[in-house]
Amino acid sequence: MSSTYSRRDFLKTTSCTAIIAGSSCMAAKLGSLDNNIINGGVTKSVNTYCEMCSSRCQIECKVVDGKVSFIEGNKHSKGMSTSVCARGASGHSQLYDNQRLVKPMIRVGKRGEDKWMVVSYEKAYDFIAEKLKKITDEYGAKATLFSSKTGENFNHIATFANIFGSPNIFSHVSTCPITYDIAFEHTYGGKLKRDFSNAKYILNFGHNLFEGIAVSKTKKLAHAANSEKTKLVVLDPRFSVVASKADEWYPVKPGTDLAFVLSLIHVWLRDGKYDKEFVEKYTIGIEKLIESTKDTTPKWQEQITGIKAEVAERVANEIYKAAPNCIIDWGHKTTTGASEYQKTRAILVANVLMGNLEKAGGLFFGKKAKSVNKIANMDIAPVITNPDGHIKYIQEERIDHATQKGANVFVSRKMGVLMDIPDAILSQKPYPVKAWIMTRTNPLITVANSQKMKKAMEKLDLIVVNDVYMSETAMMADVVLPEATYLERDEGIADVSSMAPAYMMRNKVVDPINKTQTISEILRALAKRLDLDSNYKWQTVTNFRVQQAKGNSELLEKLAKDGYVSFGVPSLLYREKSYVDNFVKKYPSAASNLDSDGLFANMLKFKTPSGKIEIFSEEVEENFPGYGVPAKHDTDVAKGYPYIITSGKTALHTNGHTQNIPFLNMLMSDNPVWVNPLTAKKENIKNGDLIYLENNIGKEKATVFVTEAIRPDTLFVYMGFGRESEELKRANGKGTSQSKLLSLDKGPVCSTMITNIGVKITKA
Amino acid sequence: MKKKYRMIHDENLCIGCQACSVACRSENKVPDDLFRLQVRVKTEGVFPDLRMDMKRHSCVMCEDTPCVTVCPTGASFKTEDGLVQVDPKLCVSCKYCIVACPYEARFINPVTKNADKCTFCYSNRVSKGQDPACVTVCPTDALVFGDINDTTSEVYKKAKESTLVYPKAHLGTKPKLAFVPNKKGVSYE
Ligand code: SF4
Ligand code: SF4
Ligand code: SF4
Repeated sequence: MSSTYSRRDFLKTTSCTAIIAGSSCMAAKLGSLDNNIINGGVTKSVNTYCEMCSSRCQIECKVVDGKVSFIEGNKHSKGMSTSVCARGASGHSQLYDNQRLVKPMIRVGKRGEDKWMVVSYEKAYDFIAEKLKKITDEYGAKATLFSSKTGENFNHIATFANIFGSPNIFSHVSTCPITYDIAFEHTYGGKLKRDFSNAKYILNFGHNLFEGIAVSKTKKLAHAANSEKTKLVVLDPRFSVVASKADEWYPVKPGTDLAFVLSLIHVWLRDGKYDKEFVEKYTIGIEKLIESTKDTTPKWQEQITGIKAEVAERVANEIYKAAPNCIIDWGHKTTTGASEYQKTRAILVANVLMGNLEKAGGLFFGKKAKSVNKIANMDIAPVITNPDGHIKYIQEERIDHATQKGANVFVSRKMGVLMDIPDAILSQKPYPVKAWIMTRTNPLITVANSQKMKKAMEKLDLIVVNDVYMSETAMMADVVLPEATYLERDEGIADVSSMAPAYMMRNKVVDPINKTQTISEILRALAKRLDLDSNYKWQTVTNFRVQQAKGNSELLEKLAKDGYVSFGVPSLLYREKSYVDNFVKKYPSAASNLDSDGLFANMLKFKTPSGKIEIFSEEVEENFPGYGVPAKHDTDVAKGYPYIITSGKTALHTNGHTQNIPFLNMLMSDNPVWVNPLTAKKENIKNGDLIYLENNIGKEKATVFVTEAIRPDTLFVYMGFGRESEELKRANGKGTSQSKLLSLDKGPVCSTMITNIGVKITKA
Repeated sequence: MKKKYRMIHDENLCIGCQACSVACRSENKVPDDLFRLQVRVKTEGVFPDLRMDMKRHSCVMCEDTPCVTVCPTGASFKTEDGLVQVDPKLCVSCKYCIVACPYEARFINPVTKNADKCTFCYSNRVSKGQDPACVTVCPTDALVFGDINDTTSEVYKKAKESTLVYPKAHLGTKPKLAFVPNKKGVSYE
């Protein structure tokens, strides 16, 4: 078999015999894992859900003699069956990694110097509590920041921040899905899901579900792409895996997708080819859209995107023919440039024009227990509650001014804007920030301009990092608290309803190695020391779960056993006759809620200011004149530089988290930069050369990977590499960190991190 | 009736994600940096006329087995169901099989010191009625496995509805691993 494969030359080959030697002396100093602390014991199977990425797929873990030995999908979840991705299947490689942290540590050297003293949890908590008290006495509770990637850990840390009295809580959202969160709010008043399985046409803007994997969605899209009945069209500057599975691929110029969408809208409105009845009944602002897209012709977009005018004409017509069984996919984080908000809004509005809401093969709202119970006029699925629901978000001014008039007016107080942290710390405006407590986050890899973030961190009096590994951020900490991984902890119930209600629950697979504590245990220990613990209404995870389930022991037992529970409720789409009929057949009491035409369309509620789908948003227009309706916007992201560097996900790694995990590092340990042969020739560089990528933000080294699979004006790296922490012994020093080249400027309206940016190439 | 095992890798469904490779490592304790199985991703063409092929690289379970033929001790053998295995008690690490295999599927396992390769998870899973580890986890159902004599099986259905291609068919080794070749992208045949 030939071994001339070009896309992943960096995928190591079968015949390679090198074995990575473990290093023990540093590991001991770091309080990392020794093999003898793993207990022997039982052989069993535990159903839970994954946290190797944020997709949180349901998994089943086999335990043999007390050790996790195999991870597969949780068959109780139909969308998963026994499937899992490479990262999910590597969970135990992280769990038993001898470079993992398992003992709390306090910094003894200079900040960032990597000198530590291993301490007990008690000692670490005393130290943190004392520092926090001092900082709070002097500067107030708001001087402490809290952050985490979203998920149950985030919920716990947000609750703690609120009890503690700080308004400054940050999720990862501003670096990732913030644009569609906000664009959905403004358009439909809430988020929608995609029915890939029944779509006849899918227009995809770089939503690379075949490398940014979420198993059940990936599976659906893979089958759709392979089906004769579905047409898949992909726009992406790079020949990604999803592009390779498409019926048509257009290497759009980075950052310009907006122009293509606006031209589709132009064609539909010009020819009257849109769902007029739907638009009439459910929306406001179509006349504004007609006005804003009157010149956005296919010809106009051609000079911007590089995609031929005929293609835009034809695609517009094909989608209209397939409507309403069509999806114009807003992607996950196709973050391009400053036009990201308008692009996402334009995509959402394009869907509106196709009338695909609550239609098979279109878009739909999640059907949670509460909504189906209401429709059925009976309790068909249990509703869960939040035991921390009484704890309210602090309404004081945040350091990023989220929700206040200005750039971040639409940013939720829950999520914040990570890119605003460095300036706030360095300028001490609006007030001094002295401490940062974080879990499951590594801003020195995942947030733009990490150089500046690091400078800001140097100014803090207290940094507490809870992580599995000695990340770059942990390296900057005063206290490092090892994280009990998702396989070592019980958690509450999570709502994962799709077309029917469903829940999942995280169940502990093995006891925490070396008794590492979970973030909720850590926070409660701190709450006790700070006299804040009486604010909680629960004591243990079991308590928490019981309150969530409102004492429903049957539900809890099932979740403990199966990890995932659905209730036999038929899939429901409010505007799809056969789905509605099925539902009413099973629950005849639902009949009283039917519309005159036998549908549940009256159940559609849009939580927008007008109560309708807002093609034009007055609120947005008021705050950001010119942005109220999808319209032309500056799509230039190169800003005078010869190339645009873009980044994306690989199926083998997650953001800044997994690069050091043995199984995954073995498959991919580096991220050479993709360069088109024409570009390589022009720059006089060849495969394997070391180069620098440079712009006004930073300069970062990269190894050249010459490939046809990218536009000549574009460069690409997989994200999460270029690791500086020397304690990540496998990942350290390999590859490129794109964050070092990214600007802290944010996309207007949605405050998103901009991840496509101009660079030049210089030789090393 | 004797089982007639077949594995089909549908290159159209495969996304090259390597979940199969990790599951194989996990199930079969494959030593670090060695692989019984990889899916190699190959991009061909000139921008923007491209195609990307996903090729499974593992033992293909020959019916006519060069590796068994050359083995001097009988360590490499075929089970009654026709699946090629290595008996660790008999293997003397002579590497004849490694050289003989036209699919570059074998290697010496530095831990056991035996010749090693994909076994279709015969002793640990298939003989117990389970699917091989790679087939179990594949996120896109690109891998299908089973007894093709069983007309109700997935593999029978898949074989019936697809055009199957056998790797290096011209060698006459009659593999039990078949491919559904990629239909997407620009063709350079
Ligand atoms: S996509 Fe993979 S890593 Fe992410 S949650 Fe699912 S199984 Fe885990
Ligand atoms: S797990 Fe499936 S999709 Fe992924 S590389 Fe293997 S065969 Fe292909
Ligand atoms: S592929 Fe190689 S190892 Fe497998 S049966 Fe054929 S000759 Fe033997």
